[in-house]
Amino acid sequence: MRRERLGVLRRAVAAEAVKATTARSLAWTFVAFAAVTPVMAVFVGLTGSLQPDDTVLGGSLTAAPAAQLVAAAFGAVVVTGEYSTGTARTTFAALPRRETVLAAKALVVGASVFVAGLASAGAALAIGSVLLAGDGYAPGDPFPALIGVAAGLAALAVLGVAVGAVLRHSAGAIAAVVGVALVPPLVAPVLGDAQRWVAGASPTSALEKMTQTSDAAPEVVGSLGAWPSLAVVAGYTALCVAAAGALLQARDV
Amino acid sequence: MIEVTDLSKRYGDTLAVDRLTFRVRPGRVTGFLGPNGAGKSTTMRLALGLDTPTAGSVTIGGRRYRALRAPLREVGSLLDAGAVHPGRRARDHLRWLAVSNGIDGGRVDEVLETVGLAAAGHRRVGGFSLGMRQRLGIAAALLGDPPVLMLDEPVNGLDTEGIRWVRGLLRQHAAEGRTVLLSSHLMSEMQLTADHLVVIGRGRLVADTPIDDLIERNSRPLTRVRTPDGDALGPVLARAGATVEASGDTWEVAGLSAEDVGTLAARHGVVLHELTPRRSSLEDVYTALTGTSVEFRGERRAS
Repeated sequence: MRRERLGVLRRAVAAEAVKATTARSLAWTFVAFAAVTPVMAVFVGLTGSLQPDDTVLGGSLTAAPAAQLVAAAFGAVVVTGEYSTGTARTTFAALPRRETVLAAKALVVGASVFVAGLASAGAALAIGSVLLAGDGYAPGDPFPALIGVAAGLAALAVLGVAVGAVLRHSAGAIAAVVGVALVPPLVAPVLGDAQRWVAGASPTSALEKMTQTSDAAPEVVGSLGAWPSLAVVAGYTALCVAAAGALLQARDV
Repeated sequence: MIEVTDLSKRYGDTLAVDRLTFRVRPGRVTGFLGPNGAGKSTTMRLALGLDTPTAGSVTIGGRRYRALRAPLREVGSLLDAGAVHPGRRARDHLRWLAVSNGIDGGRVDEVLETVGLAAAGHRRVGGFSLGMRQRLGIAAALLGDPPVLMLDEPVNGLDTEGIRWVRGLLRQHAAEGRTVLLSSHLMSEMQLTADHLVVIGRGRLVADTPIDDLIERNSRPLTRVRTPDGDALGPVLARAGATVEASGDTWEVAGLSAEDVGTLAARHGVVLHELTPRRSSLEDVYTALTGTSVEFRGERRAS
């Protein structure tokens, strides 16, 4: 039984991998996600537009939160695109275990964003290190922070998958997941003691803390550390995926 | 074999399928007929596990669809030819489907060949005509070489050659002992393709019968008559209880067979230029049947 389920999951992952790489719109979104951080690193490096107390790592990864939003949109559209084109019916006719399909999508999106995110963050750091060399910035500590950055990118992409499965509509899903990313740091300062948790729970805050940028001041991103923040984000992402799976099972396609 | 047992589906206030029970047996083409909104597509969605029944069940080969591990090898289905990502190439669409059910990749090219899309496999589906999308949908249904086919309006958008091809394909599958369920609103096409009919109206079963029986049992004798002496023939036919619909000197006589009309004409010395027995078409019978079902429902509502 267990083995059979694993077999279905393996086939579902393989099918999702083919799907994610063969639809033009998805491919372009993914390219945009991978390109935004290194491209921004070039601009930051050439213009030297950093605070004096910033790190090379933080400056190089200036656009990582933006990339994270694109990753979230990518994750959402992987699911909602199926509903807008009607492919969802074909998918669930081919793989009636809907929670397995969702798990496969989350795995494919999470893994591809993690790997491409790690590569693009690494590339951005390399670009920044070359262009900012000798400008007197502290280097920052890239390991294991780059792993954390990639994980933060992947987490929001997976959250996009879950929200997409719940809302089934591209615009709504993207708005919701971008809202989750952007709203907590805006409202947190008025929440008093809860600020530490609310701002700390924001996926973009987790990422900024990970990059050790001087923008990541506690009054903006919460006083929770980078890794605990990431753990909180990963935790509610997992909950959202589980809830979306249960909802998919119960709902008509 | 597809077994629909006491199946009901309610969407809000609407009872789309109402205690429907019928079997679709292997070795023949079963036509699934009903007016728009009768519940045909809903029944198919329930059969494919896409929607959950409010009550009752559908099993395919004795098992519920959602319990199938590799459903494309057991049931080939086409619900909506438009349900394909337009940015994906036709081949890639079939490729992910094959991968999802552990179907050998070689089948992708085989079915593309079968449906006549071998040369278009590398093209993105967005640029396909409706007919090409239908062919791709049929290719997807055939991919797992399944013993059961379930196709919703497969000939929509196909040209004459395509319609003939689908007819041949379905007849061949039935001849191989497979189960074929086909819905279509093209009565003439259904009459040529199906052996057996399941007719539903407003979610309920109206008829479940061999197509020839259905036409025979529900048709009224109809005779085409052409006569230069209408003034004499008219009252004779009326006395015999027939109703006449005239257009010029050609009459459609309902309620009397050609033999009866000929005998009456001879007895009264009326000259006939044409005397043709006419069989009711499936369309005539279907219209009469579903019309009745609608009226029947109306009465029930009122009481």
